Amino acid sequence: MNPAVEIQKPSLLKFWGSRVISAIAAIAFCAGIQSLGGPLADNEFLYRIIVLSGLYVTLAVSLNLINGITGQFSIGHAAFYQVGAYTAGYLTVRMFSTQQIGEVPWLILMCLVGAAAAAITGLIVGLPSLRLKGDYLAIVTLGFGEIIRIIAINIDEVGGAYGLSIVPKIQSPWLIWALAILCIAVCRNLLKTAHGLPFLAVREDEVASSAMGVSTTKIKVTAFVIGSSFAGAAGALLAHYEAFITPDMFKMEVSFIVLTMVVIGGTGSITGSTVAALALFLLPEWLRGLKEANGDALVVSAPQLLGATLAIIAYIALARRVRDHYHGKPIQKAGFQFGVAAASLVLFFLFKAVFAQIGGLAGHEGWEINSLRMAIFAAVLIVIMLLRPQGVFGHHEFSWAWLKSLFVKKKQEAS
Amino acid sequence: MLQVNGLNVFYGAIQALNDVTLEVQEGEVVSIIGSNGAGKSTLLRSISGLNRPRTGEIKFLDETIVGVSADKIVDKGISQSPEGRRIFTNMTVRENLQLGAFSRKDNEIESDLEKVMDRFPRVRERLKQSAGTLSGGEQQMLAICRALMSNPKLLLLDEPSMGLAPNLVTEIFSIIKELNDEGTTILLVEQNAHRALEVAHRAYVLETGKVVLSGDGSDLLEDDRVKEYYLGG
Ligand SMILES: Nc1ncnc2c1ncn2[C@@H]1O[C@H](COP(=O)(O)OP(=O)(O)O)[C@@H](O)[C@H]1O
Ligand SMILES: [Mg+2]
Repeated sequence: MNPAVEIQKPSLLKFWGSRVISAIAAIAFCAGIQSLGGPLADNEFLYRIIVLSGLYVTLAVSLNLINGITGQFSIGHAAFYQVGAYTAGYLTVRMFSTQQIGEVPWLILMCLVGAAAAAITGLIVGLPSLRLKGDYLAIVTLGFGEIIRIIAINIDEVGGAYGLSIVPKIQSPWLIWALAILCIAVCRNLLKTAHGLPFLAVREDEVASSAMGVSTTKIKVTAFVIGSSFAGAAGALLAHYEAFITPDMFKMEVSFIVLTMVVIGGTGSITGSTVAALALFLLPEWLRGLKEANGDALVVSAPQLLGATLAIIAYIALARRVRDHYHGKPIQKAGFQFGVAAASLVLFFLFKAVFAQIGGLAGHEGWEINSLRMAIFAAVLIVIMLLRPQGVFGHHEFSWAWLKSLFVKKKQEAS
Repeated sequence: MLQVNGLNVFYGAIQALNDVTLEVQEGEVVSIIGSNGAGKSTLLRSISGLNRPRTGEIKFLDETIVGVSADKIVDKGISQSPEGRRIFTNMTVRENLQLGAFSRKDNEIESDLEKVMDRFPRVRERLKQSAGTLSGGEQQMLAICRALMSNPKLLLLDEPSMGLAPNLVTEIFSIIKELNDEGTTILLVEQNAHRALEVAHRAYVLETGKVVLSGDGSDLLEDDRVKEYYLGG
């Protein structure tokens, strides 16, 4: 009746084109990470955090599959990370020396084992709790995370509270990042193909989904199990990279940080989870490394700190007003936001000068930036949550087509 | 085709359906009218397997479907356009329709999509659009299209005219009539009693969970009680 809009399938060239580009980029990236080890040989700390940030990308993106894409509020992701780490680590300690197998193939095998162990655990936790509505899942997963940790503390076979040291140490930076990329690819494919529709449908409206014949429990359990298994594989890699794991490495804080990455990035956006995982993992590490020019620990004075706090509060208030009440072109909006940021900076110096005049404050020795790390981290999160509650990326995703559109002007559509 | 026998449904202590008995025969439009809170949606939800009745029987094509999960009921040939439309607003129209065909495994989905789109050209024009950008009337049509995509033998419609302008209400009801003429059996729930009775072969009146009256649509249109309570005197 209306021939103008045809029902069409996406072109094969486009479909495979973007996948081939992605695959090449992924391989190049992993090779790049691996070979960075050379130039960064004398900056082991930097290389280490670059490598380990890959694990957090895996954790955040896999939790995003559960929380963001399928809409189930799970907050015990560290538990699956731990199950993978301990299962793989323990097996290596007990069995590696008796096997005729190279280190890296063994590590890949251990990733699979860790993933399987975490998947089974996910199934055991998920099956009963995902049937329940509301926040039960959050409570169950939170409690479960602690239980797993306490179990590990109490089993002497895996080192108890002291921890388990893993021989041999197998460090494979490229594999850590390959896992992260695999996780991104799996989630991305789920989102962008027909297989993913029921997951998104469950997030949007469970009742309507089941009215469509979507088995909501099955979908939720599937997401939960896939998400858990990636966390398990990441755990296996962590165990072999560090060669030493303790129950303390899987505390509730780890779950919360991963959850924060998902929320800050924008629940549902894989790009968001990836970028937020990198940023939030690197930020505290970067702050830790900050030094004065002469190499001394960087100290923040009391007036500086108070000034910064007030300036941030002013910034939030102003930026929100601009966001909510000013409707202009995007470029003008950006300009305004920039202006607000500049104004806040001026306010910071003003406040600082004022506080410096107040007796007592100026005399205070101040705090080392290192001890303020987590407070700064928290402040950044608060600012983002207040200014952009949907997360930095909202529902948006990176794509090659988008990248191309930045450089190539769109052809005028024939009308 | 569908028999409901002595159905009792509770929400906690609240009884939403009280000994409801009704049937739908193949090829019919059956309307259920009743005011807000009468239990109409609960009835449809129970048939779709979204609510679990405490007692009573629901048979579809001579098979009992009480306790069968919602997705299996769609497989058996019942689909529902739920109250308030409940389309997936963050997805495209096309994705909504794909989800409507979720339970199907045959290869006629694309050609059925064509057929449904031929019937609803306004929806076809918007296939690529996000469903949330559709107007109320278009969203209701999409909800019906989505339900049709499972190729149902029995279509359940929960208040399709809710919140629509009068001309759109007319359009929706003529679509219901046409769908039925083409062979779809329809169980329709409505507060708009006049229209619902006009289009129905038979109808039931539901009051606080009980069937208080039933008969041919045209007879109920003439019924004094129906006139007084549901047709505005
Ligand atoms: N989820 C629910 N929880 C508790 N009570 C409900 C729920 N849904 C409906 N009810 C109650 O059941 C009764 C019937 O509701 P419903 O089937 O939605 O009526 P209708 O569709 O005819 O307006 C009402 O009294 C309503 O308050
Ligand atoms: Mg209702």
